[in-house]
Amino acid sequence: MMNIKAFRLVSAIERELLMGDKDHINIECIECCGKNLYVGTNDCFIYHFLLEEKMSPTGKVAFSATKQRHKYLAFKKPVNELKAASALNRLLVLCDNTIALVNMMNLEPIPSGARIKGAVTFALNENPVSVDPFCVEVCIISVKRRTIQMYLVYEDRVQIVKEVSTSEQPFAVAVDGHFLCLALTTQYIILNYNTGASQDLFPYCSEERQPIVKRIGRKEFLLAGPGGLGMFATVDGISQRAPVHWSENVIGAAICFPYVIALDDEFITVHSMLDQQRKQTLPFKEGHILQDFEGRVIVATSKGVYILVPLPLERQIQDLLASQRVEEALVLAKGARRNIPKEKFQVMYRRILQQAGFIQFAQLQFLEAKELFRSGQLDVRELISLYPFLLPTTSSFTRSHPPLHEYADLNQLTQGDQEKMTKCKRFLMSYLNEVRSTEVANGYKEDIDTALLKLYAEADHESLLDLLVTENFCLLTDSVAWLEKHKKYFALGLLYHYNGQDAAAVQLWVNIVNGEIHDSTRSDLYEYIVDFLTYCLDQELVWKYAEWVLQKSEEVGVQIFTKRPLEEQQKNNFNPDDIINCLKKYPKSIIKYLEHLVVDRKVQKEEYHTHLAILYLEKVLQQKPSANGNCAEVTETQAKLRSLLQKSDLYRVHCLIDKIQGTSLHMESAILHGKLEEHDKALHILVHELKDFSAARDYCLWSSQGRDAPYRRRLFHMLLSIYLEPGPSACDLALAAVDLLNLHAAEFDAARVLELVPDGWSVQLLAPFLTRALRESLHTRRMTQAALGLASSENLLYKHDKIKLKGSPVRLSDKKLCQMCESPFCEPAFVRYPNGGVVHTHCAASRHTNPSSSSPGSRT
Amino acid sequence: MKKPDVKIVLLGDMNVGKTSLLHRYMERRFQETVSTVGGAFYLKQWRSYNISIWDTAGREQFHGLGSMYCRGATAIILTYDVNHLQSLVELEDRFLSLTDTASTDCLFAIVGNKIDLTDEGDAEGGAEGLKEQGKALSGRARASRRVRLDDAVALYKKILKYRMLDEKEVPAAEEMCFETSAKTGYNVDHVFETLFDMVVPIILRQRAEGPSQTVDITNYKPVKRTQSRCCD
Ligand SMILES: Nc1nc2c(ncn2[C@@H]2O[C@H](COP(=O)(O)OP(=O)(O)O)[C@@H](O)[C@H]2O)c(=O)[nH]1
Ligand SMILES: [Mg+2]
Repeated sequence: MMNIKAFRLVSAIERELLMGDKDHINIECIECCGKNLYVGTNDCFIYHFLLEEKMSPTGKVAFSATKQRHKYLAFKKPVNELKAASALNRLLVLCDNTIALVNMMNLEPIPSGARIKGAVTFALNENPVSVDPFCVEVCIISVKRRTIQMYLVYEDRVQIVKEVSTSEQPFAVAVDGHFLCLALTTQYIILNYNTGASQDLFPYCSEERQPIVKRIGRKEFLLAGPGGLGMFATVDGISQRAPVHWSENVIGAAICFPYVIALDDEFITVHSMLDQQRKQTLPFKEGHILQDFEGRVIVATSKGVYILVPLPLERQIQDLLASQRVEEALVLAKGARRNIPKEKFQVMYRRILQQAGFIQFAQLQFLEAKELFRSGQLDVRELISLYPFLLPTTSSFTRSHPPLHEYADLNQLTQGDQEKMTKCKRFLMSYLNEVRSTEVANGYKEDIDTALLKLYAEADHESLLDLLVTENFCLLTDSVAWLEKHKKYFALGLLYHYNGQDAAAVQLWVNIVNGEIHDSTRSDLYEYIVDFLTYCLDQELVWKYAEWVLQKSEEVGVQIFTKRPLEEQQKNNFNPDDIINCLKKYPKSIIKYLEHLVVDRKVQKEEYHTHLAILYLEKVLQQKPSANGNCAEVTETQAKLRSLLQKSDLYRVHCLIDKIQGTSLHMESAILHGKLEEHDKALHILVHELKDFSAARDYCLWSSQGRDAPYRRRLFHMLLSIYLEPGPSACDLALAAVDLLNLHAAEFDAARVLELVPDGWSVQLLAPFLTRALRESLHTRRMTQAALGLASSENLLYKHDKIKLKGSPVRLSDKKLCQMCESPFCEPAFVRYPNGGVVHTHCAASRHTNPSSSSPGSRT
Repeated sequence: MKKPDVKIVLLGDMNVGKTSLLHRYMERRFQETVSTVGGAFYLKQWRSYNISIWDTAGREQFHGLGSMYCRGATAIILTYDVNHLQSLVELEDRFLSLTDTASTDCLFAIVGNKIDLTDEGDAEGGAEGLKEQGKALSGRARASRRVRLDDAVALYKKILKYRMLDEKEVPAAEEMCFETSAKTGYNVDHVFETLFDMVVPIILRQRAEGPSQTVDITNYKPVKRTQSRCCD
């Protein structure tokens, strides 16, 4: 068990002062009340001393006692016990089984001679029941067997209040209110002398060991238990504190919060009530008295009196901390809470927590340290300042004084152990990261974030980037220098960006991509820059790096123009013409950009459409001879070209036709002719130049899209005629014509076709066409017949109605009112509805023009 | 010092592992203990309540202290060593009488510790094992175990008789007999936390009844027995 210095043993009364050289005189009992110290001896003397506390030059407490007087009691018996009743100015003296009252100051017996007879031992009630301040309650163990008596003692008289008998002979007593705590022969009990109720505490053999009963506070006693235990018990018969472990032969016990002090024949031991551990052991031979008097602990041998001077609690705590005994220090500090004013306590306790935190920290007990720092509300900068260079150069922080720990810095703490150093740094990272968003960070956000940035940068930690792209308070100058030192240029760019210095950021990144400086944080930094510029609101900056970006990659670079956020595009910040101008040198880029305008944004401007078509065309032409037609890219561009030519109506067709003439782009020129409604030309090209019959058929289909059926039919007939024209390849064309007819029978007028086809063709050849045509015509006929039938039956119905109506005359008189305007008819003309309603002619007319007016009924 | 709302006491012969159980629960680890001198206690904050848990000394020498420690206890954990039948016998012979001072509605839990030393280790046991005891007992699985859980259940029922408690009024034996290992931590939290949860309504009732205390109406809940099954 590690010790702590809680008490110092100081001599109070020198032996000579008391008994000179008379060896037979022994100290029997002592009492201390304020500065008055009384000693009772075996030869029936009482001595009165005045005790002065002095501070030695070294800051240590010392005592000097000056004898006031002494008094011989003339019983020739030892003075057994002394108790002061300062309110009465009386000293109670037990001698020869009698408690006498003497004047506290002059030690003279009181004139009335009042006394209590027949007492073996006695105790004062320190928690009196009576409200009379000029009276003390005394409990005696009577010389009568198994008898306890309660007395009220006044200045000059005594009065017995109660006598109770006990089940066994009592040996020791302490009092609190109505409760007596008694050591009986075989056990301790609590006895309520008012009600007589008794409560067993625990068994104890008083023959083996001298019992101890000591009141330690309100309703609580300390008892000597079996096996050298110091047991705590309340008046309710329960224990609220765990026992302390003394030696088997303790003879006295005292309390000096938070310590329990015990005396045996060789030692004074000090236990903490807070954790039950033994804290100090002082060798002390032949002691036979140990008592506390209002917090002052006095021990005595038969020859001398000593005082146990407690060391200030803070000193004790600091000592504990100095020997790294964090747990105990904290327990002691917590235990002191009620003895120290709240404000002062909090300041002290916080500091202790912080100190404890640093102790744990130095032992790399980070979890514990963190908790202590948190509960101690540590100024994080104390911790940061341990790490060299982490606090910003501008920080005005100075460590608290006196220091919270003994370390100059982390190097000293770890003694250069790199592994420990790394662990400490890792801890700080996680700690700062945790606190930076809590109130702990308030006021120190710059210090925390800057330190964090430095740690991350140094450790090459990925969180560096997270820190910089989210809200942070990193100080610019410090951070710049640090990031440069650690070559974290990409991060530095982020820092510049966060601080609104986009130009610097981009310049830095460009330098990295150009290989002028080295930082491999991002392998896709170029794309990152492009992305950055895409979303950059600073037009000037975008223009500044546009060329660089495009030179690196036309396709990717152009994104700075094509992928700009929609909101910005709507504000039309960038002028497309400027962009096109800029992109002139970059053929791929410009195509992409025009595609962006024409396809994505659907800008309806002739220039862009024409420009794009021409660029496609040029590209196709350029690629055509080299790759000879069939490579994928050619087809892709060509497909785009065709699609544009087909879908757009904006480009300048003639211009393109001019460009396309003489090339082998037949399909395209067919489309262009189509645009000009020159279908004949277009189809000729497709059939004769391209010999692509399915393209020709498709042409008919898409060219007629959105047009009426006759338009389409005209195209198909046109194609058919071309096929049937006589010529060198008439045979192929005839087959194409057959296919066309058979597959698209519906698009033709069968009668006209039959006129057109050569007489030599067999029915079989055109069987599918003919079947379709026949069925079609049959179908049409039947449909028409059905319609005809329906129409004539409807006609019959109307006729029937008409006859019915004509059957009954309509009478019109001036009493009859128009159903619509509800006024009489003034002319013979009227309108009659099929349901019989009669209205004015003008009303009927207005009903047709004004649909909102109510209709008197209708039938159609 | 915070005043405990309620007291739980660990009783049992020395060396059955009372201190280790408490240590395991409070400090979350197992380490060699020194023989407990006299007694020790911990304060545990459970929800808003302070529960004091007393560890007692099993040594004969300190036996006399038991009654005082148990005085007014709300729950008592009787602990034995599953590998020593005698330690279970002792609970009845020596320790049960100490609980006379406990409060009348005191809860009892019986904990067989050191289950890790038996053949089947901590694989099962506890309530689960109990339900399956019929099956398991017929096999050879439990052959080397000295104390079976149903011995503890039998003791529990004896305790109820001794305390003159109605079986229907108190938690069932199956709920209150546990097997644990302080060494592996098996079931340890379960024991304590089951008890804590059962003790909370008692605290509330005590508060409601306590004459000297102020009753917090907002916290008051009518006290109901947790055991209110219609048939048992
Ligand atoms: N294997 C094993 N040993 C245990 C267990 N619990 C306690 N022990 C050991 O048993 C001995 C007595 O434990 P202790 O807690 O002091 O018992 P107590 O006298 O009841 O407090 C110690 O050596 C412990 O390490 C357990 O669950 N498993
Ligand atoms: Mg123990």
